[in-house]
Amino acid sequence: MTLEVPYPPILPPGGAFSGLARFGQSGYSPAMSKSAAPITVPDTEKEQQTRSKDQLDRGYLVICWNDPVNLMDYVTHVFQVVFGWPKARAQRHMLQVHQSGRSLLVRETFEKAEYYVHQLQGYGLNATMEREE
Amino acid sequence: MKFIPNLKVTTAETPLVFQLSPGEEALLLATLRLYPVLDNGHHRISKDPKSAGSAEQRLLEESMAQLRAAHRHKLDELFRAPQRFFKGASGARHLILTGAQFEWLLQVLNDIRVGCWVRLGCPELEDARPPELTRMNARALHTMHISGQFQMALLEAVK
Repeated sequence: MTLEVPYPPILPPGGAFSGLARFGQSGYSPAMSKSAAPITVPDTEKEQQTRSKDQLDRGYLVICWNDPVNLMDYVTHVFQVVFGWPKARAQRHMLQVHQSGRSLLVRETFEKAEYYVHQLQGYGLNATMEREE
Repeated sequence: MKFIPNLKVTTAETPLVFQLSPGEEALLLATLRLYPVLDNGHHRISKDPKSAGSAEQRLLEESMAQLRAAHRHKLDELFRAPQRFFKGASGARHLILTGAQFEWLLQVLNDIRVGCWVRLGCPELEDARPPELTRMNARALHTMHISGQFQMALLEAVK
């Protein structure tokens, strides 16, 4: 019997619900009362100012580094769980780590890259985030 | 320890069942009692030396400390009521885990394995020459291999 990762992948902040936002913009229009209170558009300027353009860029690399202690099957499993990858892709990255000393897993924004590194290190993998040169 | 596949149901909620001997159960519990072995300061957010004292590095260490505290709490529950995890039936013992418990146990065992490896001085394990055994490191070497064996047995369930 084959058990293909029986649980959903761990999703990064924002990643799990971005589809709902798109659904709202694609024409779904529930009935609306005419007496509804006027909608106040939230001021987003502050948020834009708190994060630099650099940090919003997908310019952060999540890299897994080789070590002799983490088991190959374990590393494959962790990639499947954390990124929701199919087994073949997870194995390809695991072998790259093993044979080349490291593997670039994802290129992400600062926040998501940090999230993934926390997840991977929680599993004991030697993973870091590096600013893309 | 051996994975017992459930041939009827394979959903996310299907518990994973492992058969083990009473000796293996005692060894698993004794190994888990060592948790945590790895130090929170072991983790590095980046290879960049400038990140050493950064806010991101501190956040990572805090996050790992919280994760370890949560894992430790769950282990304490296991030690308080092992009968919730280990069931006996017709002489055999069964370890029964939900998907979340399975992930938790894998992380705990890997912490013990990696922590022991760090205590041994991070040796190359594939070298033909094994690390020199001393009275001090014998236990760490033994525990590292035992926790790896339990990890492999657990991972049979997702192969």
